[in-house]
Formats: sequence, C-alpha cells, structure tokens
Amino acid sequence: MTERNKELERLMAAMPRRAITRRDLLRRAGAGAGALSIGAFLAACGVEGQETDPSASGEDTYTTQQVAGTLNFANWPLYIDRLKGRSPTIDDFEKQSDITVNYKEVIQDNESFFGTVQEPLSNDQAIEWDIIVVTDWMIARMIRLGYLEELDHSQLSNFEAHAGEIYKDPVYDPSNAHSVPWQSGITGIGYNPELTGGEITSFDQLFDPKLEGKVGMFKEMRDTFTLTLLSNGVEPQDATIEDVEAAQKKLVEQKEQGIVRNYYGNEYADALLRGDLAATMAWSGDVFQLQFDNPDLQFVVPEEGGVLWVDNLAIPQNAEHPIDALEFMNFVYDPEIAAQITGWVNYICPVPEAQELLVKQSKTDGRYYKTVAESPLVFPTPEMESNLYSYKDLSPDEEEQWQDLFGELVQG
Amino acid sequence: MATTTERIARREPIDATAPPQKPRKRRKEWLLPAYTGLVIAYLFVPIAIMILFGFNNPAGRYNFQWEGFTLKWYNPTTLLEYEDLNDALINSLTVAIVSTLIATALGTLIALALTRHRFRGRSSLNLGLFLPMASPEVVLGVSLLALFVSINVPLGLVTIIIAHIMFSISFVVVTVKARTSGFDHNLEDAAGDLGADPWTAFWTVTFPLIFPGILAAGLLVFALSIDDYVITSFNAGGATTIPLWVYGASRIGVPPQVNVMGTLLFSLGLLYVIVSLWRGRKAEALAPPVGKG
Amino acid sequence: MAAKSERGRLTPYLLTLPGVLWLTAFFVVPMVTMFSVSFQEGNIYEGYRFTGHWQTYTDTLGSYSEQFLRSLWYGLIVTAAVLLITFPMSYWIALKGGKRKNLFLLMILLPFFTPFIIRTLSWKLILGDEGIFLGTLKNIGILPDSYQVLATPTAVIAGLIYNFLPFMALPLYVALEKLDPALLEAAQDLYSNKRETFMNVTLPLALPGVFAGSLLTFIPVAGDFINAELLGGVNTTMIGNVIQREILVNLDYPEGAAISFLLMAGILLGVFLYARALGTEELMG
Repeated sequence: MTERNKELERLMAAMPRRAITRRDLLRRAGAGAGALSIGAFLAACGVEGQETDPSASGEDTYTTQQVAGTLNFANWPLYIDRLKGRSPTIDDFEKQSDITVNYKEVIQDNESFFGTVQEPLSNDQAIEWDIIVVTDWMIARMIRLGYLEELDHSQLSNFEAHAGEIYKDPVYDPSNAHSVPWQSGITGIGYNPELTGGEITSFDQLFDPKLEGKVGMFKEMRDTFTLTLLSNGVEPQDATIEDVEAAQKKLVEQKEQGIVRNYYGNEYADALLRGDLAATMAWSGDVFQLQFDNPDLQFVVPEEGGVLWVDNLAIPQNAEHPIDALEFMNFVYDPEIAAQITGWVNYICPVPEAQELLVKQSKTDGRYYKTVAESPLVFPTPEMESNLYSYKDLSPDEEEQWQDLFGELVQG
Repeated sequence: MATTTERIARREPIDATAPPQKPRKRRKEWLLPAYTGLVIAYLFVPIAIMILFGFNNPAGRYNFQWEGFTLKWYNPTTLLEYEDLNDALINSLTVAIVSTLIATALGTLIALALTRHRFRGRSSLNLGLFLPMASPEVVLGVSLLALFVSINVPLGLVTIIIAHIMFSISFVVVTVKARTSGFDHNLEDAAGDLGADPWTAFWTVTFPLIFPGILAAGLLVFALSIDDYVITSFNAGGATTIPLWVYGASRIGVPPQVNVMGTLLFSLGLLYVIVSLWRGRKAEALAPPVGKG
Repeated sequence: MAAKSERGRLTPYLLTLPGVLWLTAFFVVPMVTMFSVSFQEGNIYEGYRFTGHWQTYTDTLGSYSEQFLRSLWYGLIVTAAVLLITFPMSYWIALKGGKRKNLFLLMILLPFFTPFIIRTLSWKLILGDEGIFLGTLKNIGILPDSYQVLATPTAVIAGLIYNFLPFMALPLYVALEKLDPALLEAAQDLYSNKRETFMNVTLPLALPGVFAGSLLTFIPVAGDFINAELLGGVNTTMIGNVIQREILVNLDYPEGAAISFLLMAGILLGVFLYARALGTEELMG
C-alpha cells in the first residue's frame, strides 16, 4: 500500500496543481477511509463515497452555482459583532442579499471541531455548514485532506480590493485558494511590569530563573515551538527537525529549572490578571481585553519575532450553499462591515481601512472606539507587522515529529 | 395491603413508643449537624463567587476581577442577549431531564434484576457495567460519533441524549444497588401472600424501599448530564449546550450572563429546598411521610 | 405455580433487556470498533489499516507508566479523602435528616448544576497566589511569598475531591438510610459503647455504600483529565490528559484507544479484586 501511495504521490506531483485533489487519489487507492470506519465493521456497506469529479477549478465542484437563499454558518461563541441580542453584520447581510443566515456558535476549539467533522468529511458526507471558522494550521490540514471547497475568487472582489497585504497568499493556503481571513491575532508575550520588575522585550526573558514559577507557556504546540525557534534565530519556514529538537531541549530546561508554572490554553489570561503569572506567552486580543481590567499589563512582540495567526472562513466540501457562502465572504470585506465586526470582537482586523472608519466613529461614539482604533493590538503598527511570522506549514511526518517532541515536553 | 408491611417498608419503628433519648447522648448532638453544615458550606463556596460575579461590572470582556456592583445583567433583555446561550440553557435542561428519566429507569431495572434474581450472565453483567464508567470520555465520544456517522444518524439533541443515557446507566445501577443489596425479599413475598399482585407489591413495597437509591441516582445523573463536555462535544452537531458554549466562549470571555443563569438555576433549587423545609415544618404533625423522605 | 416460576425465570432478562440493549448498541458496538482500531497502524492522511499491531499496548504502557501510576495514586487519595469527608455527613443525613433528607441530597448536588468552568474559575480566584486566601496568609507572614496552591498536585487533588464529593456522599447515604433507628437503639443496649455499635452494626450495613461510592469516585477520577488540565501544573499530567491529547491533537486513534483499553483493563481488575476483598456475594449481588 505504501508503495502504491508513493507512486500516486509522484503522479500527483507531476500533475497540474489543482487538477486533482489528494483526496481523490487516496480514495482511488482505497486508503481514504476514516480511522473509525465503523460502517465497514457493522456491515459490508463500505465507506466509499461518490467520487467528486476532478476538475480544473473549484467552481465546478460546487453542489450548485445558484444563490440558494440560505447560509449555515458555524462560528465560535461571541466571535461576531453584537448589538441588543442581534448581530448587525448578519442583519445587514440578510437585508442586502435576501439570504437567511442560520448562525450557530458551535465551534469550541479547532481540535474538537475537527474531531466532529472528520468522520463525515472523510466518508465524503456533507456536514451541515456552508461556512466554518478555523485557524490557519487547521485550514492547511483540511486542504491536505481535501475537506475544503476551492473559492471562486471572481466572486470575492471585496477581498481583492480591501484585504491587507499580509493576509494575501498566505503560507497555509497559497493564493487564498480555500480560505479568507476572518479575524487574526498575534502570539507574543504578555506581562505584568509590577511582577517582572521591568520591561520585557525578548522571548529569552521567559527563560530567566528570576521568574521562577511565574512564567506561562502555551500548550498549543505551534505557538510555543515557533516563538522558541525564532528566539534561536531560526525562521519558522526553514526549521528542520534538528532545530525543533534544539528548541525542545531549551524548553525542557526551562521546565526543569522550575521556571514554567504551566502550559496553558485560554486560562492563562485569568492567571495573568490575578498575578499568578508575571510573564507569559499571550495572544494579543486577550491582553487588549485584560488592559481594561489592569491598564498596567503589557503585550509585546518579542524582538526575535512573533506569530501572526489567522482564523479563516472556509467552505467545507459538498456544502449545500456554496454561492451564498461566497457572497458572505465578500460581504465581510466591505470596510464598513469589517469595522463593525472588529469594533466588537477587538481582534486584529484583516481590512486595514477599517481603522480609519473606527477613528471616524470614535468622534461620535466616544472613547471606546478610540481605544479600539488606536490600539496596536487591534491594528498592529508596520514595525510590529514586519516582525511577524506564520507557523511552518508542516508535512504530516513533520507534524507527527513535532507533536511527539512537544508531548514529551508537556506531559513528561 | 397490610399496614404492618407498609410500616416495615417505611422503616417506621413498629413500637410507636420509642424509648426516650437518654440525656447523656444529647451532649455532642450538635457536632454532626454542624459538620454537615460545614461540608455543604464548602460545596457552596465557589457558587457564592459565581453569584457575586453575576453582579460584577467588568470593564473589559473578561469577568475575572471585581470592578463594581451592577444589576444590569439581571435585566431580562441583557440576560437573554445571546441567543445561542439561551438555546444552550434550554438544550442543557432538556437533555438533563430526559436522560435522567430514561437512564434512571433503565438502570434501576438492571439493578433490581441483579440483586433479586440469579441468572446466566449475572456476574459478567455485574462486572461489565463498570466498563462504561471506566472508559475515557474522549474515546466514548469519538467511537459513538463514528457509529452515528456510519449509520447516518443526524447529530443533534437526540444523539446527545442517547450518549448521556449510555454513560449514565452504570452510575444508576451502582447507586441503586447500594440500596437493594441485602434487600429483604420476604417483604415482597409477604405482600404477595397477602394477595397483592406483583405490580402492586412492587409499587407499594419495593419502590418505596428503594426510592432513596433511585432519587440519589437521578440526582447524580442530572449533575453528570448537565455538566458533560467531552462526549457532548463529539455528538452535538448543530446543537449546543451550556458547557459547550461556555467553553467556546472562554476564548473571548465568558459573559456575566452565564453567572446569572447559573445563579438563577441554583436559586430555583435552593428556593425549592427552603419552601419544602418551611412547609415541612408546618405540616409535620399532619402529613404522612412522603416516600421515604 | 409452574406459570409463576416460568415467568420468574424470564423476569431478570426482561428487566435487564432495555438497558443492556442500549449499552450494547451505544457502548459495546462502538467500543469493539475502538478495540480493532487499537490494532491499526497509519495516520489520518493515509488512512488506517488493521495490521494486528499489538505492540502499541506494550509501547504505551512503557512510555506512560508514570501517568498511569499518577492517575491511580490520585484516584486512591481522592477516594479515601472523599470517604472520610462524607461519611459523617451521610450518616447524619440518613439517620437524623428526618423529612429533610431529600432536601439535603438536593443541596449537595445543587452546586454541580452550574458550569464546571465557572466553578473552577471561582476556586482559582480564591486560591490564586495573591488571592483572598493565600494573599492574606502571606501578608501576615504565615506562608512564604513563593507559596502556591494552583498549578500543583495539591490543586488537582483538591479539585477532584470537590468535584467527586457527591459521588461518594449519595451512595453512602443510600446505604446508611437502611439503618433502622430502632436497630441502633437495640444495638446500643447490647454493646457497651458507640464504637462497638458502629463497628458491629453501622459499618456492615454501610459497606455496600462504601463499595458503590468508592467505585463511583475512583473510576472516573482515574480517567479524569479536566481537573489536571485547568488546575494542574507541569508535573500533574494524568493518563486522561494523555488520551485526550493522543486523540484530539495527535489524531493517533490507535494509540489513544490502546491506552484507554489498558486503563479500562486495569480498572476492571481493580474492581474485581476490591469486590473480592469486601466479599463479592454480598456486594456484587
């Protein structure tokens, strides 16, 4: 089987890039079935889905070319603008387009969401959503598995016109073929100057024994490894397995010296505010919110470099209403709408023009919008942007090796 | 029905004139109730904080730090601001109530069979029932999802309920068995001898006897169900429950509305307790004991 | 009489049928599949193949023995602690609770009807390094400045004790409630002191409750991950966290499944031995 797969991969490499998806090939090789093909176990019904017609561009594979009038949108809780129990953006979209949006906050995190959609998607069944929101590395994984429809960019004129340059043609999805950014953020360092006793500028300061037991690191492998790699002077995209081993060693030492308090998920934020942490890896949007509670808290992009991560909109394969989904994607790149969303969500906005609009709004609506519009945590400065990197696009083998090394670190 | 049997069933002393308490026993009688109060107070500590933060007026989106008193989250419009949160609350309650009823019924029947009958496969069933409890949640979640997908069952409230019943049955069996083991079959036989059919004998003798076990099991299942995250997250599809929504929202900041809803749910329970205590006190002399309570 | 005994023979099967069917369809079938997965090899990109690769079991047992032992150890501590904490309470409610018994049960469970994350956040607020509790003790000099509870094994164990308390308290209550006050009176006349009464009357009757309660506590605690996740630190990883990570993050279903079955086998063996030690017939039956 591996023999055959290798051959197929060679064939695939020789083919025009979008002519055929890896999924189709794998399915022909008979290896595309999910891990838990219980159906095959229960009965001999097999797991072969109907084959998607391999065609030259995304639009031909859509289930329909028509606006259907319905859009099933799966998002994370509270990840869209809100006003009096409604989302103005969704209301505006429904009014303008005559499409009814079925908006559900059903995504809790990338991993468990993938866990739930992986079974149907790997069996070539449609899931009930036309638009999903997941982080860039998950986009890359889903593209690799053939779980996402290609976007018909002829219908995304707003994206071409208004998306920030750093959001175009990203590493995880070349030429935005399968996804457009929704909101993004920076992984850097958050700290409490009162507890650190001074400014923090370098990632290496998180390895200072002076901060024993007061440093938070992330249990998100990509964030922790990427920042550590950068602090070792390695560009993430060039990182070899040896580089990662070196980074892991550095992290193990940090842990064994008792500097790390814990490897955190979202819950680092309350620990930082409470003063349990003096300095920690942090996400920009969180620190922006924490500064309302404690204005002394600081967020910095480490001088060695930080990570720009991007949550994206994407259309799952075989989605029922792909054209409606495209229309929504285009809609949110209208700068007015982008400003409206960012004004509430306060993450980094992929539409730079939104900043001006928010500044204008702050003249009538007061301080809050001024804070949002002026914060480098919502609209990063060019200097910050120039020091931001993407996660490395990991091959399946690399992902396994990196995760193994990271697992040793956090679970050892 | 023979009243004696009934009285035995209710564990009332047959000799109605129980000997008066000897004075020396009264000395330390405050100790146990005080201790019980202390444990319950300890259980309530985080709830007190939760309630307090339902009155907090945080400056940012995180509700981590006390920043001033407000009643605004109790304004119905604000409280019900997040549609998906409201749905989640209703879903959580629906799932918890339905799965509690079904799981408690199914589990109680198994417990009765296990303690009152000898049959083939009894000991393997006895031991095997611990397996669902011993299975890691994520494995239960993943494998059940695979089953639903492969037989094309659409995910939603129904699949959540199926899953919750599945993992709750064992808890019911074990809890009810703590009651039924060492169970005196003679009582039911006596009822039978006195002419009661098995159905009547069950409801008038057995059921009241095992009721505390059933009630305890039901409460445990309700708590398990309303707080389950992992298994639910795999089998929820487009439905959401309170734990799912709150966990997802923790990234952006869990809004104080969640505290208020928790507070209201808690208060409702507490109110029931207080009213019952108060009415119980008033009616003590008049009413016959309800169930075994 | 013949008809009655015929029906009598069928009764246990009829009673167990609905529950057993449910568990067969929604537990046994998925688990059998999972069992076969544990012998597969591959990854999510290339698919998984059944190869009968049993070494996953021995390998994982080797690499995660520390987390296995930690989970069992936490399980034992928590079970013992919860038993000690709840016994006097359940005893009092069962024997002296009067008409308020059910209300006490409800009160014990009420805190658990609120979201886990909110409860945990509340505990973290209380137990933070500079929080109302530790902060005060540090200020008056009872504790050193660097003292912390959160992100330590203590925090994980305390969290587990809190969250599993009702799973001991209720079964204990259920068993103790069978105690007839009249019987206790009689026993107190028979035995000279309270201790003897307790050992000879109360304890034997409480045993089914102790058995049930310790299993309802130990088994889920041994497989728990969320308390270690939210309250623990760098050296508190339990086997539940490993499984969670294998399946959700690494997408290594065979390994996750294998570890789970090892855990389940260990627990089942433990239950069997425990039942034997306490007297199978009385307790398992």
